[in-house]
Amino acid sequence: MADGEATTALAAGPQPGVKYPLSVLYCGNCSMPIEYCEYYPEYEKCKQWLEKNLPAEFEKMVKLGEGDDGADGGGNDDDKKRQKRGGKGMMKAKKKDDTPKQVTVSRAPRGKKKSVTVVTGLSTFGIDLKVAAKYFGTKFACGSSVTGDDEIVIQGDVKDDLFDIIPEKWPEIDEDFIEDLGDLKR
Amino acid sequence: MFKKFDEKESVSGTQQLKSSVQKGIRTKLLELYPTLESYIDVILPKKDAFRIVKCHEHIELLVNSAGDLLFFRQREGPWMPTLRLLHKYPFFLPVEQVDKGAIRFVLSGANIMCPGLTSPGAKMTTVPKGTVVAIMAEGKQHAIAVGITSLSTDDISKINKGVGVENCHYLNDGLWQMKPVK
Repeated sequence: MADGEATTALAAGPQPGVKYPLSVLYCGNCSMPIEYCEYYPEYEKCKQWLEKNLPAEFEKMVKLGEGDDGADGGGNDDDKKRQKRGGKGMMKAKKKDDTPKQVTVSRAPRGKKKSVTVVTGLSTFGIDLKVAAKYFGTKFACGSSVTGDDEIVIQGDVKDDLFDIIPEKWPEIDEDFIEDLGDLKR
Repeated sequence: MFKKFDEKESVSGTQQLKSSVQKGIRTKLLELYPTLESYIDVILPKKDAFRIVKCHEHIELLVNSAGDLLFFRQREGPWMPTLRLLHKYPFFLPVEQVDKGAIRFVLSGANIMCPGLTSPGAKMTTVPKGTVVAIMAEGKQHAIAVGITSLSTDDISKINKGVGVENCHYLNDGLWQMKPVK
């Protein structure tokens, strides 16, 4: 299959009978097309991801590995012979952000009797802060803005509502991930 | 080009394009890639308003209204497709295939050296110097990098030394990692 693909790919112009755009499967771990996972330093993690998310593709790959055992085995031998160092030819693994996933909510006074709610840590979940701020604004009918690297200020005290609304809007955030810092000084 | 590219640091601003400029870009793209003609309306619909993302080092990215990155260029160079786009429409660039041994170097951003293009596992389409090409890999279906030939393919096979194709954009570089621009 790969061979046929290679020869057709060399011809220029759209192939008749092929529907574009093609959809390419990308690995969730290394983000590359799954056939390149083997060049990623954390190949094992890619495999786990593949097994979990695309079992069909995973099986195909396993079979392929068994099919051309000669080539695969040769590759393995090669790996053993050559010393592996973190030199030029090695790809660097993407740095995983080790910062713990945590959202914190707190209340800060604003003037004598008003207060604002400060939400931090949403971006550790990969949430677009601008979108989130807009959402809070419409939800609570108040002003809401992105004020820092990872900080949203919502005008008005809506801390208690946030505990319900954040997990509802973003299911990946469990209520346990949200920490209440109480009242903060501005 | 995108080895040290970072979404947060390297972007200096986005700009809505005038429709006349958009038209100019479309015609330029068609001039460069004539085989794209039947699909250009899918990639860049006429009604769509695309934007330009300006980055450091005189890099410009062409972005559609959904925020997907489509093409990029440096200074006044040719527009080159991003790999995500190229994976969807792999036909419109001439293909150069490198052998297996070269893959890992290409993946860490190395330029394509001539021997990797002339060895038994490799294939070349004949192109002159300075063409935008897709770099495929032996035994793989999808493009691994996009580059500009720094020698014509004749010279590559003749000289067989040094850089043959300049690596502009490869899998897992800064541009590949970049999320859709809002």
